Amino acid sequence: MSLLIYGLINSVILALYTVGFSLTYGISGLANFAHGALYILSGFVAWSLMNAAGLPFAVSGILAVLITAAIGFAFYWVLILRVRGIPLAELIVTFAAGVAILELMTWKGFYGLRYSLPVFVNGGVEIAGVGIDYQRLIVLASGLVLVIGLWLFVHHTRIGLAFRAMAQNERTALSIGIESDWIGALSLAFGAALAAIAAMVVLPLGVMESTIGYDVLIYALAVAIVGGLESTLGMIAGSFLIGYGQIAAARYIGAKWMVIVPLAAIVFVLSVKPSGIFGKFKELEERV
Amino acid sequence: MRRGAMIFSGIFLLAILVVLPTSQAATVKPIVIGVPTSLYTPFGRDGLKAVNLAVKEINAKGGVKVGTQRRPFKVVIADTRGGEPNTPVHDALMAYERLITKEKPDAIVVGAFRSEVLIAGMDLVAKYKIPQLSTIAQSPGFQKKFMKDPKKYKYLFRVTTDALVDATYLNNTLDILKKKFGLKNAYFIYQDTLWAKAFSGLMSRHCKKTGWKIVGFDGYAAGATDFSPALSKARESKVQLIGMVWDVPLGAGVFAKQYAAMKVPALLIGFIPPMASPMAVKTLGPGVEYSMSIEFPVGASLPLKKLPKTGDFLSKFKKEYGALPEAAAVNSSAYDAVFILANAIERTGSLNPDKLAAALEKTDYAGVSGRIRFNKQHIAVFGTKDPKKEGVCVIFQWQKDSAGKLKRVPVYPAFLAEGKIQLPPWMKK
Repeated sequence: MSLLIYGLINSVILALYTVGFSLTYGISGLANFAHGALYILSGFVAWSLMNAAGLPFAVSGILAVLITAAIGFAFYWVLILRVRGIPLAELIVTFAAGVAILELMTWKGFYGLRYSLPVFVNGGVEIAGVGIDYQRLIVLASGLVLVIGLWLFVHHTRIGLAFRAMAQNERTALSIGIESDWIGALSLAFGAALAAIAAMVVLPLGVMESTIGYDVLIYALAVAIVGGLESTLGMIAGSFLIGYGQIAAARYIGAKWMVIVPLAAIVFVLSVKPSGIFGKFKELEERV
Repeated sequence: MRRGAMIFSGIFLLAILVVLPTSQAATVKPIVIGVPTSLYTPFGRDGLKAVNLAVKEINAKGGVKVGTQRRPFKVVIADTRGGEPNTPVHDALMAYERLITKEKPDAIVVGAFRSEVLIAGMDLVAKYKIPQLSTIAQSPGFQKKFMKDPKKYKYLFRVTTDALVDATYLNNTLDILKKKFGLKNAYFIYQDTLWAKAFSGLMSRHCKKTGWKIVGFDGYAAGATDFSPALSKARESKVQLIGMVWDVPLGAGVFAKQYAAMKVPALLIGFIPPMASPMAVKTLGPGVEYSMSIEFPVGASLPLKKLPKTGDFLSKFKKEYGALPEAAAVNSSAYDAVFILANAIERTGSLNPDKLAAALEKTDYAGVSGRIRFNKQHIAVFGTKDPKKEGVCVIFQWQKDSAGKLKRVPVYPAFLAEGKIQLPPWMKK
């Protein structure tokens, strides 16, 4: 039973890590390699607002999400615009920006044993004999709300519909008056905001360190590659495969194999179906 | 004429002002201490602070007497990043070697964070013949390699404890727990690195020998962020004790919170930096109550009433830097190492590495961490009996005081104890 419950929690955490990365890539084709850095940056922003400005966590968390979204938005105009359309350059620029953020945080002293965000609610319950804390239940609920919210957003709002138009065909979207740079910038802002929301619910489970940024990026990449880079359904499938795979590996093979699972999954999927389980980018080439 | 004299006098005085500091600087060349370590970890950062504190004290008294001359210490640093989970040993060693070749230190203190780097770096230190007093890395692999060629590695010393000492303290505490409370099922979780594996292995073997049932012995990668598989198994198996050895703050912090969140009804003991830290209650919450941790050696972060030197060092540290050191380990060793080095230099009156190594071998220093002497393997002698005869450690437990405030209470060894081990109410029959 604990395998089922903690596998589910682990899967949802991975989905939360990935949802912003996948959304940005799905809309603008931009692989934001600064995604992990933005995730942990938002955590430190919230911590700083709480401890330096004395704000409550709820306010700090909301401000951190907004600030991170603004950073994502600014990223597009400052860093991406000049290299837009050159995938390798976009990747290098975002990766460099991510490393710069992480190193800057380390240099500014954001490491050690003191950085931790508070849980939303203390305590926990037993489900079928398995102890589980409220924060992890909040993580589960957040994952569900985020997925449903995103679906409603992209299907029933003007910006969401513009996102979908861009994702389906950029030139056609341009011809009907959708400005691609604005949508690109908004996709980065939304991706960054989703990374920050994930951080606000997941980071209270432990302590914070800038190196988490690298881990989050690797997990997001693994899930996105396994599921299919631009596919929401693929993202969910990838999260569950890797999430349950990790917990099962730890339980039945050995705990140290947990970190191998996402990397092994990347290698396996790239060699068997490079588009990922639900990806369509290279589907034609794969068939040929 | 008068004008000429004025100009001449002016130039003369100016020349003196310019030349005097240079000639003085030339005569009081500082003794350079290299600190190549993982600076962006609590251990490296606070170790460096402890070194700087000791250097400040020594320099304030005029420096170190080398022969007939007093010379100040100067600290040069290199961040090896060796304590970060993703740093390859080779990268850490490159930073180490760069410090040696560029700054040409007369001695090295603190040194490698990770044992893998310490052991691989022994050849480097031997090659450049620089006396080194390492104070972080804990693997017994150091003495194994040392004994393969003591002549070659004679410049290397370890001022702090090693995993054997740490495990002895914890094993003795396990014996007390078994005898006093009848605990008999244990589960061990460790970070999959040399020292932690050695440390938890020693605990596990001791338990097997003394009649404990070992339910699990799981190694997690240093970057792990989910411990639910082990904690679930521990809960399902109704273990009474979880032994945990981990030094990377991230994983240790996740574990500490997850242990409390999953309500595993087992006593927690080991080395888990966020749980042992003076700020654990603020960072992790009240779930730290009853958890037990080792501080190696004494004086790293916990002032002990029965060893006033620990309080002196920690109050000086707090006054200088505004807070106590974060990690319950090795900070006092870094502080002691500088005085041990100064002491050896003064005794030999030279910075010659061979003479200095010989002088270090004869060290007999009453430091914060106890009496420090080196054995034939060049490691400081630590024990569990008497701080006047050897270096010592302490086991403490988070307990509530009469006002309901959580405090770290020393519980073992008896000569340092300020309270008794408490069993959590949810474990009492």
